[in-house]
Amino acid sequence: MSRKLIGLFLFVVFGLAKLPVEDRVLGSLREQNLVESPLNLELRENIGQMGFAASLGGLRSLVASITYLQAYVAFEDVDWGRVDSLMTLTTRLQPHEPEYWGDASWHMAYNAASNYMNNQDLRIAIRKKLFRDYIQRGIDILDEGLRYLPNNPQLLTRLGDIYRDRQVDHRKAAYCYLTAAAHGAKDYYKRMGAYQLVLLDDRDSWEKAYAILKKDYDDHKSVYERKDMARSSVMRDLPILEQRLNIPADKRIKPIVPLHLIK
Amino acid sequence: MSAVPLTIHKYSAFSLSRIWTLATNTVTQLLRMRILWFLVIFSVIAVGAGFAFPAMSPEQQLKLLKDVAFGALQIFSVVVAIAATALLLPRDLEDRTLYTILSKPVPRYEYLIGKLLGVLLLIGGGLLVMDVIFSGVVWLKQSFIIADQIAALEREQQASPENISAVKAIISKYGLTASLHAGVWAVFLKAAVISALALLISCFASSTLFTIVITFGFTIAGHGQQLARDWFLHKHLTVGWEKGLSALIAIICPDLTAFDLVEPAIRGDVISSAALLSVSGLALLYITGYTTVAYLFFVEKEL
Repeated sequence: MSRKLIGLFLFVVFGLAKLPVEDRVLGSLREQNLVESPLNLELRENIGQMGFAASLGGLRSLVASITYLQAYVAFEDVDWGRVDSLMTLTTRLQPHEPEYWGDASWHMAYNAASNYMNNQDLRIAIRKKLFRDYIQRGIDILDEGLRYLPNNPQLLTRLGDIYRDRQVDHRKAAYCYLTAAAHGAKDYYKRMGAYQLVLLDDRDSWEKAYAILKKDYDDHKSVYERKDMARSSVMRDLPILEQRLNIPADKRIKPIVPLHLIK
Repeated sequence: MSAVPLTIHKYSAFSLSRIWTLATNTVTQLLRMRILWFLVIFSVIAVGAGFAFPAMSPEQQLKLLKDVAFGALQIFSVVVAIAATALLLPRDLEDRTLYTILSKPVPRYEYLIGKLLGVLLLIGGGLLVMDVIFSGVVWLKQSFIIADQIAALEREQQASPENISAVKAIISKYGLTASLHAGVWAVFLKAAVISALALLISCFASSTLFTIVITFGFTIAGHGQQLARDWFLHKHLTVGWEKGLSALIAIICPDLTAFDLVEPAIRGDVISSAALLSVSGLALLYITGYTTVAYLFFVEKEL
């Protein structure tokens, strides 16, 4: 047998032998979220052939940056439909990039929603409907992002912001902030969750909020006892909760006279 | 006159020093092709990207800088891997260097390994220089952004230690991290596999253009191998020949998606040493396999 034939045979044998190794390496990389899943094939309808080829060629991140920049231009042109479709494309190209989900939802829930609300050419009923629809779109985007990045603190805090500021749903906002804090968000998100619980009308929420804020107070007592902290949210909400929960007087925090009342 | 003692070296069938000589000569040969101009272009791109788009969020500015720089790194490494390797054998044949080398007791496998090592040295050296420039630009950009953000917090009287550490943590994640170098290493591994593949193809190819086109095709297919498998084997197609085609793609193409660690490197995610080790092992497997097959084709090649 000529060596060329042996070479060809070896090439095929090598090709077969490498398959389980490739599967194992890629499986392990996927488990660690280091390698993305294959692109959705429907995406080929949305993206140009060159972009698709490049995204296959390891330049997916660069292509995502370009579509992100295009979305930014569409945002400057106040073209919300185009912003939405380009940001959708961007998030599909890099679904494990929390910044893209966050920005996509911010464009919808804040920029587009407010833009429609302030559009005097539309009837008030339409403006209100579009306002609600775009806020919901922002929430949907973050919900989808959380499917790719479960319990991602960045996405949860953004979702909490929307529930708090745009939908005024304190329960959901509190849930998002507290879940974010439990999964690595900064400590102050726990306090932000507690501030939302204070605004609810059930005892369970107040007890939960009290536990969080009292612990924070005890941990940073010397800070909270400073005069300039009299107007902080913790010092505002703790006395309210103490009253609602009938906390004994000896366990209540020491009231501080605000700076502006000191002569 | 005293006689000079004659030293007779025993001939060795495998000599690292011969391979090294071939490799360094290959580097010189490639440098004469002015390949390193790409480094200058890269530096301009990296510095340009570093200071463009100031209107975006700090994280996005850093991400975009890394995206553009990593894009340039990948293009450099893949283009050099394909073009330089495809040119090696034809150029040596044209210059008749190949006959001079092979007329000496240099086995053909040493010639192939030396040539491949030369290309890898050039790509590795180029990537190392680019990594240093890239890291410098990212570090500078990151320092400017952090200073800007702290100044903004101070203006708003929000510069509490908690806020400053939060800003530093967010920006540093997208700044200069160890994973950036791991990403560059993955780019090198991908280029090394593509070089080995190009060398294999050039051993039976009839022209340089053929080698370049076919290797480029393999590179694209290698990046889409997972997609092709998914498309043909699992979801949409049930016909026998389509499954056969998918199997063929899986067998003949290397799965280059395993080397796409650029995205986690850009995000600042931790790339574990175990992951790097497994990817490096996979690259070594491809390189060994393709070089062995290349030798079997090259040994019978009529020169």
